[in-house]
Amino acid sequence: MSATTDTGDRIREFGAAVTDGWTRERFGLLGALGLVLLAFGPSFQVYLFTDFLVVALFALGFNLLYGYTGLLSFGHGLFYAGGAYGIAIVLRDLGPVFADVVGSGISPLVTFVVGGVVGLALVVVVAVPVGWLSVRLEEIYFALITLAFGMLGYSLIIQDPAGLTNGTDGIIVLLGSVDVGGSSFRISARRTYYALTVVVVLAATYGVWRVVNSPFGTVCKAIRESPDRASALGIDVRHHRWMTFILSAAVVGIAGVLRAGLASVASPGLTHWSTSAIAVIATVIGGATYFSGPIVGAFVFLYIRWGISRFPTLEAYWELFFGALLIAVVLYFKQGTVGGLLLLRDRLLGDDDASADGDRRSGGGEASGSTDDTRPDGGDTS
Amino acid sequence: MSLSSLVPLIGVSDVVIGLSLGSRLFLIAVGLSLIFGVLGVLNFAHGGFYMLGAYVTLAVVTNVVDNFWVAAVVGALAVGVVGAAIEFSAIRPLYERVDADLDQLIVTFGFVLIIHETVRFIWGSGSYSVEPPAVFDYSVALGGSSFGAYRLVVIGLAVAVLVTLWLFITRTYFGSLVRGTSSDREMASMLGVDVPRLYTIVFFLGSMLAGLGGALSSPLQSTSPALGDQVIIDAFIVVVIGGLGSISGAFVGAMLIGMMQSLGPQFISAGSIAIPFLAMVIVLLFRPEGLFGGIGE
Repeated sequence: MSATTDTGDRIREFGAAVTDGWTRERFGLLGALGLVLLAFGPSFQVYLFTDFLVVALFALGFNLLYGYTGLLSFGHGLFYAGGAYGIAIVLRDLGPVFADVVGSGISPLVTFVVGGVVGLALVVVVAVPVGWLSVRLEEIYFALITLAFGMLGYSLIIQDPAGLTNGTDGIIVLLGSVDVGGSSFRISARRTYYALTVVVVLAATYGVWRVVNSPFGTVCKAIRESPDRASALGIDVRHHRWMTFILSAAVVGIAGVLRAGLASVASPGLTHWSTSAIAVIATVIGGATYFSGPIVGAFVFLYIRWGISRFPTLEAYWELFFGALLIAVVLYFKQGTVGGLLLLRDRLLGDDDASADGDRRSGGGEASGSTDDTRPDGGDTS
Repeated sequence: MSLSSLVPLIGVSDVVIGLSLGSRLFLIAVGLSLIFGVLGVLNFAHGGFYMLGAYVTLAVVTNVVDNFWVAAVVGALAVGVVGAAIEFSAIRPLYERVDADLDQLIVTFGFVLIIHETVRFIWGSGSYSVEPPAVFDYSVALGGSSFGAYRLVVIGLAVAVLVTLWLFITRTYFGSLVRGTSSDREMASMLGVDVPRLYTIVFFLGSMLAGLGGALSSPLQSTSPALGDQVIIDAFIVVVIGGLGSISGAFVGAMLIGMMQSLGPQFISAGSIAIPFLAMVIVLLFRPEGLFGGIGE
């Protein structure tokens, strides 16, 4: 009884917030609408946006460690690959087993879910010891040891001493079709997979958002600002970094599961340091100090790359552009794209509005900037 | 497997090849270690510099003068100039930052991408090979197998670079400034050392060594745009095992890895390429200052 009135009140509040100018709720609604509309867009655009969502989650997981505790990892490809190989191995070796147990109709879906969970579990099992060892080091040494762990994983996947990973070829990922009540759909169909990715990425992003804005996240930010001061306040810096490392790896692992389905293959290249570097590029370009930085950075990365690929003469040299952009951002504008967008908004709307907005986001500080999360999504579809 | 059955497997030529691989690794890594030791900058673009040295040598040999040694010197100097320009324009503004180390790593990574694409733009994606100087273009037969005579030359050159650099740093006035600045930048600055200028010079030297390494190794490898990405990882392994900033450590580390690459596959088949990375992890955890000597040696 009271629950329904609560829901009614909430809907009315939400409606009021949407009509009350450019509020967070209105952006949220427009973003959600954009995501739905995009599903009906051209097939390639659906694919590109799915790709963006996966890279965004990869970078978001990476930045949990870099942006929130100040540790730069050059080995997160290990966890990206961990998720991908986890689901690939389950699909290859256990797919038929599940078909026997739950019937062939829904077994692809069951296998996908179980594979995703196994991929995530595999990543956590790897991240616990790797993180425990890595957080003993800082700065350059941390970057080097994560690079070494990543390349260690790469070597093992390539040489495949246990006969699990199929060497340099990687493992083909076939998601299969679900048959329920006469209707059938392929999980890997672009629009189906897009819907699946949106749900998983939004849920994971919300989870990360909650963690970042929890007391745990506040401690992480304190560590980023000054490890020594945090330590003096009685915070166990190493333990917090370890926990963040595991969480960060898990988020990247989820992105890896989605990557395997999108690319239809779990390939050893995912572990290579050049894959880990994609998270670094996206995060730095987007702005590492903002929650939405890696998401916006991934958007910039994929859509500029796509834009460059429209020009055949430039297509082969898109890395050149990102090299230059990376250098320019680090040298002249550490706040990245999100910082630039916020600055632009303050310029356009005047200082009054900016400070009022700041109040509404009470205490989120520089690491929030939630209103900007939905902006590129909405902007893309229009 | 008894020891006596193992010994015949190690031929003299395997040892020579291991030493020449180690020499090449030393030429890749020594400049990286020098720059880190003095400036505290981990130069991700070092592999790109090495590759650039090989390409410039190739270009000079094929287009300008058909003399390998002249081309190698030109290659080394050209890369030195590129390195100094990068240090001056993009790395110098970052020394005073709180998280300077990571910013410098990211900026130099940006140059990895730029150098890679520039090389691809100029020379294309194919791979080239450079002939060793005619005098050394023959095979030496030893203990049943053979190797190119140029491998012996590379070993000699690596030792020469080590000795020259060691003399330069320990016996010259400029070397003493380098050592002083390396151990205490503020103090050196107060005593009148022009630290920014010294940094640029050391970065020039380190980059030049990378270019020289690429030039001298070009007859031993195929030169393609992927070369830089391959060797930077080798260079990281070597400098970590030898000790970041230690020049003699880089030499010993390079020789260890070189011998491991040459002899290792005969003893271990599965997982052999993982061993250097495992070694890197273990050294970072238990002896982050490296196996041999401390910073600045």
